[in-house]
Amino acid sequence: MRQLTNRVAITTVMGLVALTGCAAGGSGTGNSAAGGDVKLSLLTFETPNLTAAYWDDIIARTSAKVPGVKIEKLVAPSAEQRNEYARQLDSTGGLPDIMVAVDPNGLAQAGKLAEFGLGELADWSDPTSNSFSGKVFQLATNSQTWQIYYQKAAFEKAGIAGPPKTWDDLLAAVGKLKAAGIKPLVIGGGAPDGLGPRWTFSQLVANEVYAKDPKWLDKLVSGQTDFTDPLFLKAATEMKELAGKENVVNLSATYAEAQGDFLAGKGAMFPMGSWFPAAPDKTQQEQIGVFTMPTQDGSIVVPTYTGGGLSVSAKSRDVAKAKKWAIEFSRENADGGARNDALFVALKGYQPPSDLPPLYNATLDLYKKGKAAGTVTPAFGSEGGVPALPSGFMVKVDSALTDLLNGRSDVAGFADKLNAGYKELSK
Amino acid sequence: MTLHSSPGARNSVAEKAAPARRPPPGRASAGPGGGSRRRSARTWSSAGAFAAFVLPTLTVFTAVVLVPILWTLYIGTTDERATRRETSFVGLDNYRSLLEDDSFRHSLWNTVVITVIVVVLTNLLGIAIALLLSRPGRLYSLLRSVYFTPVILSSVVVSVIGRSILADKGLLNSTLTSLGIENPPGWLTDPSFAIYSVSFVMVWQTLGFAVVVYLAGLAGIPVELDEAASLDGAGPWQRFRAITWPMLAPALTINTVMLMIGSFKVYDQIAVLTNGGPGTDGTATVAFDVVRTAFAEQRPGMASAMAGIMLAIVSVASVTTLRLLQRREVNL
Repeated sequence: MRQLTNRVAITTVMGLVALTGCAAGGSGTGNSAAGGDVKLSLLTFETPNLTAAYWDDIIARTSAKVPGVKIEKLVAPSAEQRNEYARQLDSTGGLPDIMVAVDPNGLAQAGKLAEFGLGELADWSDPTSNSFSGKVFQLATNSQTWQIYYQKAAFEKAGIAGPPKTWDDLLAAVGKLKAAGIKPLVIGGGAPDGLGPRWTFSQLVANEVYAKDPKWLDKLVSGQTDFTDPLFLKAATEMKELAGKENVVNLSATYAEAQGDFLAGKGAMFPMGSWFPAAPDKTQQEQIGVFTMPTQDGSIVVPTYTGGGLSVSAKSRDVAKAKKWAIEFSRENADGGARNDALFVALKGYQPPSDLPPLYNATLDLYKKGKAAGTVTPAFGSEGGVPALPSGFMVKVDSALTDLLNGRSDVAGFADKLNAGYKELSK
Repeated sequence: MTLHSSPGARNSVAEKAAPARRPPPGRASAGPGGGSRRRSARTWSSAGAFAAFVLPTLTVFTAVVLVPILWTLYIGTTDERATRRETSFVGLDNYRSLLEDDSFRHSLWNTVVITVIVVVLTNLLGIAIALLLSRPGRLYSLLRSVYFTPVILSSVVVSVIGRSILADKGLLNSTLTSLGIENPPGWLTDPSFAIYSVSFVMVWQTLGFAVVVYLAGLAGIPVELDEAASLDGAGPWQRFRAITWPMLAPALTINTVMLMIGSFKVYDQIAVLTNGGPGTDGTATVAFDVVRTAFAEQRPGMASAMAGIMLAIVSVASVTTLRLLQRREVNL
């Protein structure tokens, strides 16, 4: 019996070796599309503003400018999950050749992204704003800011004269809205994309932390401070005061649901990114206003992220062509990005189309005011480049914020959770 | 032609009757060389045939199950992170820190709670519904199909439907509000309810499978037993307790083990319904943590250690449950 077993084992191993040989011999094809074009995968994501048709159109226009490239479009499960999805693909050895707005943190340090030379980025107004020790792994194609959009009619109904300027003005406005039977805020925060509260909190961190101590993140990374820092605790306290569940329409709303709630007038204020102006229709554009998150002294602070463009895999089938395609995409997409995603394009000399909606222009004006005042700060969780918060940390922040707003955690407990999560992920 | 066979002929018949029989250990082979070669050729032939049948399955099993498991266990002993190039062997450090990690222990507890609810509730409802549906007739056939429908749907689809019902402004709360209940619970957003809501959706999806298995079990119970018990004056409850329930033992074993394994590795429903929330680890399970740690936090080493712990728990729990339930079958 033992001999039989041995022979079966030998035959099996020989068979496995033969099969492995067949498999190895069969791989390595499929890099080239028909007609000699190189086939490159492009990871995109879809939102109410960036539809499948939008992507198909811009892909076709870019490919027409870069001959010899055939794009295979991949779509992330959701806009919010695109970073995780890219990393899932990477773990299987399938990092896409080109990626749209995927956070380079981690991928860049691990050598998985191709570096763009500054010579290639002559058209970019601030190419190193999202860099890793001066190295550029993601095209800093656009700037995004965070502010509060509001329904003018709700403010009028509550007897609020105009956009609040100071923190006390804002709290007074919240009180008046509640007294008028209007829910003050729409922020969302429900699964599967529970990042709504982050857009509010990043504005408060900008006001209380980054505007007062621009090197705060460096201190955090070097261990000189942590989340019990008085500046950070102040931001967390304001968050609980402003956006506790009693002030919010529906804390379990997803991003899309929250946007729908605000546009439907279910809540008065919507702290959101500068991409929001692409969503309201022509009538709604006139009904909605915008202001920056009020500060204690009434000064203007604008949390901003410049980056968010395309990146290229270092192991792309053709890195040179992939980079060329990504750069051409950025130029070709400038007007479309401004129109459909309300992006502030960061290309030298770029002038947005004159027919962009009023809310886009109002938001851009706030950004320009912040730049003129020198009070543009990083946005918490979207700082860009290094130093950076560890990968996956903002997921823990989102969860801890939900606990804070739902009353399941106080400010001290919130800070403890962040410290524990940061320590674990920084090991 | 003679009626008597020669001794040689008798040997030949015996050899044909038992061609693969080998001499006892220590005894020399019958022939000086030719017989041994023939036997060797036959053994190689049967080995080849055996391998031909086993090889494809073994290849697939090795490639898609065994190697990934071993590889995962190996990675679990390293500090591999996608954010850096160097990886070091850390032995059991990952396992040690996981067992001390409150968040992981919370996820483990959530997994156990979901598993217990799904196994117990699905079995109870499955038996009850199977008893109601084990009758002839088109209506009952239709109802059997209706109950089975969620089983053939993707977990994501089922969860999206579940979410539309259980969301704060969903179908259930809209109904409750219209009935005059002012502040209906946040079924998915209140930690007191969320884990039960997720379990409810899972029970809904797996119930059809349990019903079908129990229906098959009921169909296998001889009618004579029930009739004899009726003639002896046994009531419905006595007949269920003495005949139906014991005879359903194999169905109970299948359902329990399958539901337990399925519940332990739940990921899809959590991702769609709550994304691990509400708040910190409200409904996070071990499988959910594995994915989050591996891809959001980019820590494959730690995630693999979590997967290793999950594999150990599922294996021990499944084998123990299987043994216990099978022992019950034998005792019956």
